[in-house]
Formats: sequence, C-alpha cells, structure tokens
Amino acid sequence: MTSQYNFKRITVVPTAAELKEVVLSKTQRKTPTVVHRQYSIGRIRAFYARKIKFLQQTLHDKLTQIINEFPKLEEVHPFYSDLMNILYDRDHYKIALGQMNTARHLIDGIAREYVRLMKYGDSLYRCKMLKRAALGRMVKLLRRQKSSFEYLEQVRQHLSRLPSIDPGARTLILCGFPNVGKSSFINNVTRADVEVQPYAFTTKALYVGHLDYKFLRWQVIDTPGILDHPLEDRNTIEMQAVTALAHLKAAVLFVMDVSEQCDRSIEEQISLFESIKPLFVNKPVLIGLNKVDVRRRSDLPPEKEELLKKLEADNIPLIEMSTITKEGVLGLRDAACDQLLVQRVEQKLQAKKHVLGDGVLSKIFVAYPTPRDDRVRAAFIPESAAKKRINTRSGTTRDVIAEHRDERTRKLEREIELEMDDDYILDLKKHYMLRNDDEKYDIIPEVWEGHNISDFVDVDIEKKLAYLLEEERRLIEAGEYEDDLDSDDEETKDLLKTATKIKEKEDMRKLENWEKKVNSTAHHISRSIHRKRERTMSKLEQDLGELGMEVKAKRMKNLQTDSRRTPSAMKIRVGKSRSLSANRSVPRPEQGLPEPEKREAVRKLVKKTQRPMNRNARKGEGDRHIPDLMPKHLFSGKRKMGKTDRR
Amino acid sequence: MPQNEHIELHRKRHGRRLDYEERLRKKQARSGHERAQKAKKLRGIKAKLYNKKRYSEKVEMRKLLKQHEEKEQKSTKEQPDQGAVPAYLLDRQQQTSGTVLSNMIKQKRKEKASKYQVPIPKVKALADAEAFKVVKTGKSRRKGWKRMVTKVTFVGESFTRKPAKFERFIRPMGLRFNKAHVTHPELQTTFCLPIVGVKKNPSSQMYTSLGVITRGTVIEVNVSELGMVTQGGKVVWGKYAQVTNNPENDGCINAVLLL
Repeated sequence: MTSQYNFKRITVVPTAAELKEVVLSKTQRKTPTVVHRQYSIGRIRAFYARKIKFLQQTLHDKLTQIINEFPKLEEVHPFYSDLMNILYDRDHYKIALGQMNTARHLIDGIAREYVRLMKYGDSLYRCKMLKRAALGRMVKLLRRQKSSFEYLEQVRQHLSRLPSIDPGARTLILCGFPNVGKSSFINNVTRADVEVQPYAFTTKALYVGHLDYKFLRWQVIDTPGILDHPLEDRNTIEMQAVTALAHLKAAVLFVMDVSEQCDRSIEEQISLFESIKPLFVNKPVLIGLNKVDVRRRSDLPPEKEELLKKLEADNIPLIEMSTITKEGVLGLRDAACDQLLVQRVEQKLQAKKHVLGDGVLSKIFVAYPTPRDDRVRAAFIPESAAKKRINTRSGTTRDVIAEHRDERTRKLEREIELEMDDDYILDLKKHYMLRNDDEKYDIIPEVWEGHNISDFVDVDIEKKLAYLLEEERRLIEAGEYEDDLDSDDEETKDLLKTATKIKEKEDMRKLENWEKKVNSTAHHISRSIHRKRERTMSKLEQDLGELGMEVKAKRMKNLQTDSRRTPSAMKIRVGKSRSLSANRSVPRPEQGLPEPEKREAVRKLVKKTQRPMNRNARKGEGDRHIPDLMPKHLFSGKRKMGKTDRR
Repeated sequence: MPQNEHIELHRKRHGRRLDYEERLRKKQARSGHERAQKAKKLRGIKAKLYNKKRYSEKVEMRKLLKQHEEKEQKSTKEQPDQGAVPAYLLDRQQQTSGTVLSNMIKQKRKEKASKYQVPIPKVKALADAEAFKVVKTGKSRRKGWKRMVTKVTFVGESFTRKPAKFERFIRPMGLRFNKAHVTHPELQTTFCLPIVGVKKNPSSQMYTSLGVITRGTVIEVNVSELGMVTQGGKVVWGKYAQVTNNPENDGCINAVLLL
C-alpha cells in the first residue's frame, strides 16, 4: 500500500534544450550515416525517411514516459489529490501534461507528412532538405513547451520529497495553533527530527513519524499551525494541515498551550477548536494541554477552567502533558492510540456483520435499466408457470412435489421419506431389474482374487466355460503339454538349477539394498569405501557357507590383517550444545590488546590520524575505488578520427 | 524545510566545511582553464556543436560589453556657455553629431529597401525537365507524352481531374498544398492563410495555368482573418503574396505579403 504513494519513481524531466540535444544526437548515432548521390533514389529516400521516423519514435517514447509516470489526480487517494492541488494547482498541472500530449500528437503528424513528401523527392539534395525541415519542425515544437518542461521538473522534485503518508494506516494527526508544541510532541514520541524553534510557522509542511504501540505501527503526522480565520483566507501552508485533517481517517490530537506562551489565549485556542470541529466528524478527538510545567491546569483562573470543563462535557478527554519534562506525553499517546484502535476495530466488525447477516443476498446486485419512455416492459411468464407459482405459494412441500409430477414418473423417494418420516430406510435394491426377482437381495462380492467380478459377468459364461474345458481336454489328449523328447542331460539340469539359485540370490541382494537405501539416514559414503568395508571375514564365511563350501576364517590368516583394522567411522564431535555454553571466543581487538587503557589509547590515536585526512578531503584507505582499467569503448571499434596504432 | 531534505538539514545544523569558501573560489578559478582544455580536445561533431554554442555565448558577451560602453555616449549634452545665448535658445539642447549621423544612415537604408516593389525581383528560370518528370504509358510502356509535376502545386477547390486517358499533366495529391505561411512585413508576424489562387509564376505562363508554385511565384491569399479594412470601409479579403522559399524542399510554402 505504501509503495503506491511513493512518488520517487518518476524519471527526471529534462529541459527542452537538453531533450533536443539528446534526441538529435541519438538520431545521428543510431541511424546509418553514409549516403551517396549515386545510390538509387529509393535507397536515398529510405535513408532519410528512416531518420525522420527514428526521431519521431524517440520523441514519442520520451513524451509518453513523462505523461504516464506523473500521477493522475483522479486515480490517487483524495488526500494526495487535494494536497497536490494545493501545492501545484490542479489546472496548471493538467494543462502542462495536456500540452505534452498535444506536442506528441503534433510530432506524429509532422513525421507522417514529411515521410509522405519524401516519396516525391527525386534528388539527394531535395530529400536531405526535406529531412532537415522535418527534424527542425519536430524539435521546434519542444522549444515551445519549454515552460511546461520546467514546471513539470519542479513538480517532480517536490513530489519526490513529500513524506510518504499511507492514507489507510493507523494515524494520529497533531493540530493546533503555531508554537504550541506539536513538533516537540512528535520529536518526543517518534524518531522524527522536526525543527523546533521559538518563532511561529517553523513547520511549513507535513512531517511524518512512526511509533510502535501494542506491537503495531502508527503514523504520527505533524502539521503546520492553523490560524483562526475562514477557509478562503487560508494560505498554502495552512491548507496542507486542513487537507490532512479532512481526508485522513485518524485520531486528532488538538494541542493547546495552557501557559499562553504562544501569544494566544485559551479562549482563542478554544474558538479555533470550535471552528475546525466540522473536520473532526467520525474521528476520535483528544485535547493535549501542553506546557503544564509553566502553568498547571489547577493554577488556571476559574473562567478558563470553566471553558475547559465545557469541552470535557462534550466527551473530549483533556490530558495534561509537558513536552520538555516529558510528563503525560506517553499518557496522551496511549489514550489516542487506544481510542483509534477501538474505533477501527468497531468499523471492521460492522463491516463483517453486514456480510454475515445477509450472506449471499448482500453480495448480489440487480440492475434495473432506467425507463426511457412510458411503455411498460413487464417480465414474460408463460401461463402454466404462472399457475404453478400461484399454487405453490399456498401448499406444503409435499403438495408442491405432487403438483410438479409427470404422469410417467413414479412416486418420488422424497415423498415416501416424508410420509414415513422416521421409519424410512433407503433401499437401493428395490428397483433392480433381474430375470429372477427373488435374487434381488443376494449378496455378491465385487472383487475376487484381485479380479473385478463385473469384468467377467457374462450371459453366456457357462457355455464359454464348457467350450474352453472341451478345448483343453483335446489339447491334453493331443499331447501338447508333455515334455520335449530330447530332455536335458545332467549338465544342463545342473546349470538350470544354479541359474535359479543365482537369480534368487540376486533378488535377495536387490531387496537388501533397497531396504538399506530406504531406511538409511546415515551419511553417504563413496562406493569404494563402502565395498571395502563390506569385505569382512565373517561375511566371506557366510557367503561361501551358503554356497556349500566350508570355510574357516581362522585358517585364512593372510586375509585377517584387513579385518583387524577397525573401520574408520566418521568422527562426530560430541560436546556441549551451543545454547548451553557461552561464546568463548574473544574479539580480535581484545586479543591483541588485553588492557583496556591501551585499547583506549589506540582508539584515540586512530581518530587523531584520521583528522587530517578528513580536513584535506582526500581519499583514504577505506575509500576504495575500483577503476575500470579497460573500458570497452576505448579498446574496441574503429576510430572516428585519428589513428588506431596506439590506444 | 521538507522532511527528507537531509543535505540541507545537515547544512543548517552543522554548517559547512571550514575551508568551503576557499575551495569554491579555487574551483571557480580553475573553470576557465578546464573549459579551454575541453575545447582543445574535442573532435568531430561534438566539437562543432560546442563551438557553435560557445560562439553564441561570446556574441552575447560582446553585445553586453558594447551596451556598457554605449551608455557612456549620450545623445544630448549641455552646450557650454560660449558667449551670450539668446533666451529662446537657453533650454534647448543641441543634438550631437553622432545620433544625427546614425539616423541619416538608417533613413537611407529604408529608402533603398523600398525601391523594389517585390521582395524577390529576379528568379532563375525553371526548366521543363526540372519541373516535369516523364511518365511512360501505353500497353508496352513506350508512349511518353504524360508528364508528372515534381514541384508543389495549387489546385482550386472545385478541381476535378480530367479522365486519366486524356490527362497530360499529373499533379500528385501529395504535392498539393492549400495553405501558406504568410509573413506581414511590418508586423513581422507570420500567419497560416489559405491560398486562393496562383497569380503569376515568373518562369512561364504554362506554370501559372497549371498552378505550379516555386520560389518567386506571386500567389493570392485569403486575408479575411487579419481583418484589414480599406479606406472606404470595405473588408479586404484577398491580397497578393510572394513565395520566398523552395516549397518542394521544405514541405511548406513561406510567403511575404505584398502590401
């Protein structure tokens, strides 16, 4: 949200002369520069027409950028549009932007006209003169808008310096006479550093500060002081304050000076309060009585005390504070924040309630066209539907359903349910259509041995089964399934057996590995190391034992050396956890110089040596500049003028 | 001061560097030297542009200096008391010879200018080959009797082309203009006025009848916008103007009103 009101992104508006230079030099650089008299006339025309079009495009783009980047007064929050109106005069602003627009339009027209004329150019000289005329005219238009460019640049600079006030956030606005202590309050409560001076109108613009309260971010807006005269007489500075009060939904803190050091009596201050009261509708208002260190409220004469009591009677809390001694400042802040929070929460709840109550209906909007003549255009409802509607209005649900029923449909289950009420049981098998009706309620499984029974249900299934059995019997009789005549000899039988064993073993290994892989949370070690660790004597014994060989590890002495070495595991450092132990490492300056006095002396020395460097405004060791030793434009390309034998 | 003008705020609170004035003075003193170095090193089109700008700056400087010098010369001065001056001459101040001379010269110049009736008295004759381009027609593109006008023309509002088969001179639409930028010689302002017709083209009568507009052509323009009134009280709505540029090169017709 705040980023929307960040006007710092507007690009710099160049002056008319600068823009002219930039645009013309760009045209000269980015379009081909060489043309000769003996080229074909089409080529010459294209050459010059390209320059005209290039310039037109560049100017069009630049002006479009300017027009689009400036905020439109209609699309911005009314607070900002009002503020901009006060500061920059809405008419002037709109006219300046409008002139940019017309200039752009005219430039397009000129380019079109001269490109058209270029088609009749029959010599290089003529085409060149036409191009010169076109570019000149386009650039002349810019010169006419000189004042607009200057004005827009100033507006842009000022806009980028406006404080970024978010109109939707929680805000407190300070208002009151000049010199009552608004800026001191904001300096106290936030980190803003607003100038505080004894003369009036020290603050000439809106200032923003931020504070934290109850874990939320609050904006505090300091306004220039308002004097008590009618709205028409107000100057620009006061109008800014009034705009802020008018448009921002915030808590208003009216600051009053009880000690009358601001050269205004309490009566005058109260009359100002009354005159700007219309701006305070729907906003929580608090009055801060400032400068109580000079004169307390209890020391006030009774007439003034009465006026203050009248204000209190209107439910406006009066809080005493002193920005110098800082008493009561936080109290005022807390009170204001609390009140504003309450109001905002209420608003949100109200909005929600509205939605929950009506639900969908509150979100539907039916648009009715405005009648343009006296003809009545009523909705068309066919007679039967109208009759039905009339009837249904009278009857109960049962009758309604009965009314709408067609002759062919049977009685609805719903009707039956309504009739039977509690006794109703949903029986979906009631209406099964089977050949044999008493099979309706038979229980049949749906899946058997991994097969879906409904795949196999067939009318002719028995016939097919008989046929298959018959076929099978025939095949067996014919001898299809007997073994081959040339049966395997001993060797091949053994081979087949070992083959099946190997296959089994492989499958087991695969399964083991897969298990390990899935379950392992251990570190991943490289394959060679892994294999090496696997090759233990016990494993060897086991494997060979499975195959049927008897091996005794003890007998294989030369193979035992490896197994004796314990496998190197990853070293895990076990020690105290970080949270328990304090940071033991000493910072480097302390490591070098353990004594504090020496350290102090060293620090002073550092500062002292830095002083002459600062005075001479020279670069030091810390101001490191990394130069570009081989900029591309100096080391590449052809020379425009001069030789290239050295660079 | 607005809230985020940090540089200015710092300057206001802490002031400037102690040697700020001295450094500024030295930097400004160096600027002439730096400018001269830049002018010597520049090459190419940048040098041309820079020199042009610098020349206009120098012209301004020279004018200013001259103005300062001129102020010392007064057009009138007190006549010293050489003998008795009669009473009726007492308050009169003699004009110095300097102003008399300059007035005379200005008067002569004006007379010289008004000798010529027309701003452009002589114009180079326009050849046929320059004004017309041969357009080949016919089935095999051999016949070359058609001509296309390559100069700017003016055709009236009620102009309709002859049927294409019989048209000898083609006046392309892109080169037809209706308006001229007419300068009033005394007011020194330029108005964009509609053309009524071509009065005379100095090169040839044929061009006049075709409506070809070149430099030196006398055209008639509609001056009702200016609101000129004759002695008798009638409103003047048409006046002659002479074209002062080459319209086919510039894409517009610039003319001077002939009063």
